Amino acid sequence: MMQQAVQAHAPAEGPAPLGAAISLKDLHLGYDRTDVIAGLSLDVQAGEFIALLGASGCGKTTLLRALAGFVPVRQGQILLDGTDLSHTPPEARGMAMMFQSYALWPHMTVAQNIGYGLKLRGQSRAQIAARVADIAGLVGLGDLTGRRIAALSGGQKQRVALARALAVDPPVLLLDEPLSNLDAGTRGTMRHEIRALQQRLGLTTILVTHDRQEAMSMADRVVILNRGRIAQIGTPEEVYHRPADSYVARFMGATNTLPVDLGGGEELILSLPDGARARLPRAALHVPQTVAPGPAELIFRSDAVELGEVNGAGQGGAGPNSAGLTLRGRVAQHSYLGSVYRHEIRIGALRLMADAARKMPIGADVDACIPATALSLFPARSQTAVTGSKAAAPVAHPL
Amino acid sequence: MISRRTSLLLIAPALVLMAVLFLTPLGYSLIWAFREEEAGRWGIGNFTKAWAFYSADILFSLVIVTLSAALIGALSIAIAGYLTLGRSPRAVAVLRWLYRWPLFIPFVVAAQVMRTFLAKNGMMNNALVEMGLLTPFQTASYLDWRGIVITFVWKQTPFVTLLLAGAMASLDRSMIESAQNLGAKRLRILFGIVVPQVAQTLMVGLILSYVMMMSVLSVPMMINAQQPTMLTVDMAWRINAYGDYGVANALGFIAYLMTACVAWGYLRKELRDRTGEA
Repeated sequence: MMQQAVQAHAPAEGPAPLGAAISLKDLHLGYDRTDVIAGLSLDVQAGEFIALLGASGCGKTTLLRALAGFVPVRQGQILLDGTDLSHTPPEARGMAMMFQSYALWPHMTVAQNIGYGLKLRGQSRAQIAARVADIAGLVGLGDLTGRRIAALSGGQKQRVALARALAVDPPVLLLDEPLSNLDAGTRGTMRHEIRALQQRLGLTTILVTHDRQEAMSMADRVVILNRGRIAQIGTPEEVYHRPADSYVARFMGATNTLPVDLGGGEELILSLPDGARARLPRAALHVPQTVAPGPAELIFRSDAVELGEVNGAGQGGAGPNSAGLTLRGRVAQHSYLGSVYRHEIRIGALRLMADAARKMPIGADVDACIPATALSLFPARSQTAVTGSKAAAPVAHPL
Repeated sequence: MISRRTSLLLIAPALVLMAVLFLTPLGYSLIWAFREEEAGRWGIGNFTKAWAFYSADILFSLVIVTLSAALIGALSIAIAGYLTLGRSPRAVAVLRWLYRWPLFIPFVVAAQVMRTFLAKNGMMNNALVEMGLLTPFQTASYLDWRGIVITFVWKQTPFVTLLLAGAMASLDRSMIESAQNLGAKRLRILFGIVVPQVAQTLMVGLILSYVMMMSVLSVPMMINAQQPTMLTVDMAWRINAYGDYGVANALGFIAYLMTACVAWGYLRKELRDRTGEA
């Protein structure tokens, strides 16, 4: 999952990028009377690959469709290399979009689908045929150009849709959940292929997805949207390891929430729900927002937890630990994820998810150790007005 | 699970009705088209007589119905196309509300309306004179072949449009958007993307209209009281004035052949498309 984020912006090497820079300024979009996107600003560099990531209903598809011209701009600007496109009709924008349903035309062959944009641009038959052959080779369609659309598999249709978008040499490529209709195996390959093509052609690309792995593995920067606002912009590593708020943390897969009562200064004194106290150095934790003393939330991933079986009669309940937290609980359930076993641990009224390579028997008493560096501290949800109660998978919650 | 015999029994009443009320009279009239009553023998005498008297009317019917179908096709594509691709929500709403009205008006009423509208002193000419586009000396009656075509088009366009607009509305919207995204203007999208995908529906609508127009008696009778006229008028005339069922049956047979040609063309295309897809 390592990214070429930094290399991608090095302008010195390789051919000049085809792509154009996009700048969104104070954009307001919506249907009827409600604003789906309110006051969004974003700068995308030429040749950059941006992923818009968010739960359904967060406005990511609306934003993409507004870029293509299908959703009217209420207020604000969409600038493409400095030119305002916010009131240009879709047919004049020149941003090629790839639709979730592919939207291929069944009454045409593969070649006719791919060549449609070129035909519109008045190219000769010979030119179109040459370009179609080129592009078909590029996306791996090779000798399928004579086929009817109905005779293609899902993956092949996806390639045709991509080829059709790329054939017109667009400065910007818009991808609307392009991989959501593919099976897992094909999806993995296509992620890689689309990314490689984008790099090779230097296209500015905007991808809409709700799949965080897809976003992280393809994009230079990930934009996480929450209720029509940008929750965080950053490289995949930043949004994954250093979430700006608890919504982002949950959306990026940190499913465990531990309500605590905060005290202390540089050394945090945490009162855990079971009454125990822990002392942790503030510098070790990820604390992106100001957290006032009082109720707060600790958020961490299930793979950060180390599980150890309690032998004999150890000390009861949770206890402090210099390197992190240790919580004592009981295994309530487990499931096999392929590489690890995910355990549901009950700690009093709380439930936590913890991954371990070894399966712990149900009913076993375990110590769950979470290193301080894997913990993110956020204000309690009641304190923060908009933190996204609709985060991807809120699993750990008080019963 | 219903047994084969029970299911046959269940559809039997419908089959019997169909046979008694439709197939028998049809077969009867087709067979009796070949009966020469006066000579008391079987032969094609009715057909030679029908051709001798009414060949001009046969051609007239064919031209009228074909021309009307072509105009209906063009107009319904225009209306359904605007309903699908139009950008002004208000104009689309008004058009959607307006275009269906003629559907609810019977042919005989439509013909009556057109008589007052298209006559030499009718509303259309009066309006044109009022607007100063024509002088009263230039006005002409449209109550001839043009009147029939206008009435047919006015009456049948909403029907085909209804079918066509439904088919267009059920197209995946992103098919239109993807063409727009590549730079296609609306007219180009209509003829390059939308119409080819609803061509089947358009064909069905036009064939149904064709058959309907072939069988209407009231419109040519009321609007075009001169020769040449349409086959239905001739058939009615043979029966009512002469009691000549032989020639009337022969004319019916010819009308049936004319519609059968269209239906055959449609079925052939349908079959070819099916085998092409398989």
